[in-house]
Amino acid sequence: MNARFFPILLALDLTTASYGVQSLEGDLRKNGDAVVSIFEDQRAVLQRSSAVIREGRKDLCYGVVISADGYILTKASEVQKISSLSVIVNETKYDNAKVVATDPTWDVALIKADAQGLFPVSYAPSADLPQGTWVVANGASSTTRRRALVGIISAKPREIPASGGAALGVILKKDSKGLEIEAVNEKSGAQEAGLQKGDQITALDGKKVSKIEQMAEFMKDKKAGALVKVSIKRAGKEQELDVRLAAKGELFDEKSRNDQMSGRFSQRRTGFPRVIQHDILGNEESVGGPLLDLEGRCIGMNIARADRAQSFAIPVEDLKILAEQLTKNAAH
Amino acid sequence: MIPSAGLRDAEQGGKLPHSDPEMSNLHPILLLVILPVMALAAPERPYFNDKKAPENRKDLEAIQKTLTSVLPKAREATVCIDIGEGSGSGVIVSAEGLVLTAAHVAGGVGKELTVILEDGKRLKAESMGLVSTTDCAMVRITEKGTYPFVMMDRENSTKLGDWVFSLGHSGGFDKDRGSVVRLGRLVRMAETTIQSDCTLIGGDSGGPLFDLEGRLIGIHSRVGEVLAQNMHVPIQEFLTHWDEMTRGEFVGDGPFAKKPETGKGFLGLATEPRPEGGLKVTKVGRESPAEKAGVKEGDVLLKLNGKVLQSREDLQNLLKEMAPGDKMALELLKKGKPETLEMKLGER
Repeated sequence: MNARFFPILLALDLTTASYGVQSLEGDLRKNGDAVVSIFEDQRAVLQRSSAVIREGRKDLCYGVVISADGYILTKASEVQKISSLSVIVNETKYDNAKVVATDPTWDVALIKADAQGLFPVSYAPSADLPQGTWVVANGASSTTRRRALVGIISAKPREIPASGGAALGVILKKDSKGLEIEAVNEKSGAQEAGLQKGDQITALDGKKVSKIEQMAEFMKDKKAGALVKVSIKRAGKEQELDVRLAAKGELFDEKSRNDQMSGRFSQRRTGFPRVIQHDILGNEESVGGPLLDLEGRCIGMNIARADRAQSFAIPVEDLKILAEQLTKNAAH
Repeated sequence: MIPSAGLRDAEQGGKLPHSDPEMSNLHPILLLVILPVMALAAPERPYFNDKKAPENRKDLEAIQKTLTSVLPKAREATVCIDIGEGSGSGVIVSAEGLVLTAAHVAGGVGKELTVILEDGKRLKAESMGLVSTTDCAMVRITEKGTYPFVMMDRENSTKLGDWVFSLGHSGGFDKDRGSVVRLGRLVRMAETTIQSDCTLIGGDSGGPLFDLEGRLIGIHSRVGEVLAQNMHVPIQEFLTHWDEMTRGEFVGDGPFAKKPETGKGFLGLATEPRPEGGLKVTKVGRESPAEKAGVKEGDVLLKLNGKVLQSREDLQNLLKEMAPGDKMALELLKKGKPETLEMKLGER
């Protein structure tokens, strides 16, 4: 893939009306009220089987209701480090929802809300749908009403490799004997795990490392989201920490030209084993909810708004396995 | 439209391709039999375009069914255009490999480019003419072949509110992903710009906008700051300037492409006058237009475009009058043998 591509020019001012200009009223546009109102059946599914995940009064993202007793899947990186989560399903708010399990590879968290009698999504048999198939997802939401946004399947299902490869998020001191940490990236798993300046990395997943080349070799086949056991020596004492790997490209705030024209997109948007792609426009808060087909069945879970033109969802086949595994993990 | 036999030859001459894609490969005798069938199969305006908005599930399914049926052919003809320092998109409109794209992707006239097909196959191509004021450009695949292509909406039959779809290599070519399809409606129409709610991004520039009969109706040009503002050049604008573009002309004076400036041309060689006449080549720049054309150290330049070269000033004065991209014929002696090399001036 090209590292660079030709940017679309920003528009000149086209607002001064000239003769013969015709304009379609907002209601009739693809996501205008008149069009979206035809998707009422699918919206009704979002109303009862999607969740709004909140911190206080702030909407963080959406969720997929997977059990009657309050288990909900959502995008992990949007709810991380939030101490008091609440959840709205239909018109009811549930406080003190807890993250009970996470899968760092897929960036999915399982939340438990103290609820009964919810309506879990019904899974579609497959997410392998032709491009051009209608899909429906959560749009801006009020406390009582879910709104639908519509679009189509827009590209082939595939893996989204971690941008720039996977990384711990540390800068190593040059010319030091061994692997001494010089700095820790603020957004990295290294920071979350508590790695510090001055720590000496001695082993990764139990494998002794003392040279930067050995570390690079170890990281080569690793995926973003995976956990690595990092052995360190701090002030003479040995310690072991679980560190989440991040996509190198997402550790820095550099924005490409395409990013600049993309509004608000997901912080974590690469490093997924498999996604389906659609053209529903949202922002970083519109992920986490179910992606529905015209039957109102769940064909996946929205996992990233990648840019202005591309949104990713975890295919239902993988989502079902994740739901089972995370529920099992939570029980232990 | 019934194609006449002569049109296919005209097409090869770079004229407007008029013939139907299914027709062009058929033996003339078969035409008699096939024609009535084809007439029946001619696309009709989908009924949902004449509704203000879809009214029920059946309408939604009709849109989906129509889109999925015309998508494969549209996708086959959609290409990525690699211009070296970046990439855009384009669409093939004739079996010989004529490609429409945006002027700001082609970047100029007579430039060497690479066209990448959906399956990843890379083909040599060159830019033909462009309209710099409205962002139209034409590119020609220079490798011989029969390429998948799409029909254009010549009748200018699309209307405000029609359902449309865009294709393009958003963010660059990605074989695993393919080109990205987006659905929308025509939301604004003016003479040289149409706007849809198919969201575009960098890399889509030059890519095609189709109606749901699978006909090309526009080429992606630019976006507004609001996500719903996506601008395309209507195909009518290409048809208006078709002949100028096939002749390789640079039409208008920006803003979508910058006209090459006279005097900014670059040949890439150093010479010294020879006592018995002509200019002896003392140095040839690496990767320069002169080197690519086959000029070697020791060659003796005699004439440029028919004008005799006696001194270095003669050569400089002639080059001063030319611009990057201009074609030239260089008559020279190679080991005493006369030869004529053709080349294009590069940009300094």
